[in-house]
Amino acid sequence: MARDPHAQTSSHVAEKLHTKSLTPYILRLAPTIMTDFNIILFMCNWGPHAAFQALQDRSAEIPDEIKMVRIPCAGRISKALLLRCFEMGAHGVALVGCRAGSCRYGAGSSNAEDHVADARGILRLLGLGKERLRLATFLPDEPEQLLSFLRDFSREIASMGSGPVPPSAERQVPAEAPDRVREILAAHDVYACQDCGKCSSACPLTLAGKPFSPRAIANEVIAGHIHFPDVQRDIWACLTCGLCYDRCPSGVDFAAFIRDLRHYLTTRGDPACVAHGGFFQSLMRTMTCNNLRPRHWDWLPKDIETDPDSRVLFFGGCAPYFDVFFRTHLGVRTRDILVDGLRLLNFFDIHPALLMDERCCGHDLLWSGDRDNFLKLARLNVEAIRDRGIEQLITACPECYHTLATDYPREGIELGFKVTHLFDLIEKEVDKGAVSFKKLDRRLTFQDPCRMSRFENRPDLPRKLIGRLEPLSFTEMPDHGASAICCGNSAWVGCDAFSKALQVRRIRQAHGTGSDLLVTACPKCQIHLRCAMEDPFLGEELNIEIMDLTSVLAKTIEWE
Amino acid sequence: MTKTGAAGRRQEIVFTGFGGQGIILAGRILGKAAVLGDHRESTLVQAYGPEARGGACSAQVIIADQAIHYPYVRRPDILACMSQAGFDKFIGQMKQGGTLLIDKDLVQPKGFSGDYFSIPSSRMAEELGRVMMANIIMLGFFTAVTGTVSVDAARDAVMKSVPKGTEEMNANAFNKGCDYGVAVLKGREKKAKGKTGA
Repeated sequence: MARDPHAQTSSHVAEKLHTKSLTPYILRLAPTIMTDFNIILFMCNWGPHAAFQALQDRSAEIPDEIKMVRIPCAGRISKALLLRCFEMGAHGVALVGCRAGSCRYGAGSSNAEDHVADARGILRLLGLGKERLRLATFLPDEPEQLLSFLRDFSREIASMGSGPVPPSAERQVPAEAPDRVREILAAHDVYACQDCGKCSSACPLTLAGKPFSPRAIANEVIAGHIHFPDVQRDIWACLTCGLCYDRCPSGVDFAAFIRDLRHYLTTRGDPACVAHGGFFQSLMRTMTCNNLRPRHWDWLPKDIETDPDSRVLFFGGCAPYFDVFFRTHLGVRTRDILVDGLRLLNFFDIHPALLMDERCCGHDLLWSGDRDNFLKLARLNVEAIRDRGIEQLITACPECYHTLATDYPREGIELGFKVTHLFDLIEKEVDKGAVSFKKLDRRLTFQDPCRMSRFENRPDLPRKLIGRLEPLSFTEMPDHGASAICCGNSAWVGCDAFSKALQVRRIRQAHGTGSDLLVTACPKCQIHLRCAMEDPFLGEELNIEIMDLTSVLAKTIEWE
Repeated sequence: MTKTGAAGRRQEIVFTGFGGQGIILAGRILGKAAVLGDHRESTLVQAYGPEARGGACSAQVIIADQAIHYPYVRRPDILACMSQAGFDKFIGQMKQGGTLLIDKDLVQPKGFSGDYFSIPSSRMAEELGRVMMANIIMLGFFTAVTGTVSVDAARDAVMKSVPKGTEEMNANAFNKGCDYGVAVLKGREKKAKGKTGA
């Protein structure tokens, strides 16, 4: 019986896919897939795909390097997916959708426009160049236009060269270390848990009604159930705000325990459950490329005085990226915190150096299980800062501060420079005297940043500065200082309806103080609490102005 | 000792306040700093008498590059007041355009129309834990604002003049006053350029 050639081929491939011979098969393919010139083309199923098929039907010469991915709607390609292509080493990405007005689902074309505009902003800051990402729209009867777009785009990308991000290799899953979980349990002395329940009675997620309990996770992991899906879900739901550690009579650092469990899970190849489609983790992983030259400070107002030869460095943090990402969503302006921080330094005649190609400190990678890339970033950062001969690093971000000052040395990375929080420096300078603060016609309350008030155990630092201000009033919320409730999220992990509920609770506490200005000290607190205020049902009721303490100080400080 | 000739600088200084504030000690430290640290000439006249038991008291210091033949101060170039009574008594003697330094909380410069420098030295000393260190804070402020003696010389003289075991506390107080003075000068400079805020 003659064998069907197609059947033979597919069984041949199936055999390769299901046996150990798969590895050499991929390795043989790898050079062509991974290292060649690569353009990813996301192509909407409707209008443009019809045009694309017309090209295929007449065997038009579509450039080889274009790898087409057919998608149901261009509007569904999130910023995270667009960035992920670049993280994996794509040289160019084109999102091709339907012409405005011809979208089958209505909002697809305008969504695609927003996503591409934001992602291009991010690429520009990252130093990859916004030109590498393009949006184009076509009607079904425009195959010629589509072809010339593809050829032009391919030529443009070719002229730009391959870019700094190398193609990512297949991730190696390390051999299972059977004792790793036990090591983590022992390292944090989780066995000391007495199952007393003080953690669950304080956990903001539990109090928001989520069936979640820190001690239950501890018990399950001790019982060897780490691979149960609901245990893993809880490991990724934890806010790592550290309130349970504050309450634990046995001193079990639960947040650090969760951090290490996440690392264990991701090294095993279990997927990380992260918010925003993993956009921010993707962004930070892209920054681990040695050759990347981000353009972190391009946007800085001209009147800010800096000195490239200074031994003092101002480390800004990721605020510029946040503002681009949340541009259409929350309208946050967290980079104002950086400008105001620099203005405060200038006020005291401190003209710091800036790393023009500053990278992320890596906080979010560390807390979402990617320790390897965190360490890469940390080494790159420390090397860059040391090369500049920096003696003191100043930052206004509590996460950067905690990560640089505490986590880097804990992870074995020697700094060779001093890390100072901006508030410490301002407090010291203001304490010298001859400086006062203008009357502020507002009633204030304060949202503690977990990394400063709990992890660094310094809830008094921002309060000292608030005490120097001249507002109408300053009233604490019922839960404050080391007992403060989380802003609802950390490291872009674990955002759900319950974290929203706890944010609502927090904002209501702020309103309960009779204040009209909620002062924060972390850009992420601002983003998360603003997000809660976008609630369509509660929006107006929750609305309260938010301003970072750095900005409040900069706006009211004056020489006596 | 270096002599710079007849044209050398000469400044007359009066420290005044309540008896017990350490006014005389401040004057003595100032003179020591000038002589031992900056290698210049200095004299001190202390106001003894009933006023030194709680009333207005004063220390008259002269610092000059050449030998001082007459140690009494008639027209002070610099007047540092830590009590209202001291201000009232000495302000009339101060030279036209002289520098006035006062404790912000203890002295109201009534009837004085010129520019002056003020520091809440007693309040700062209370915050440091000992109100009796107000004189050293004032001395630090005096050093930073007037530049009559060098900061290092003044700090050394403080360390050598205070009771054993209180050196660190007094160095702290001196630095507080000095920092305040530097901040005041910087603030004035910024204001002159029209930059008041951040």
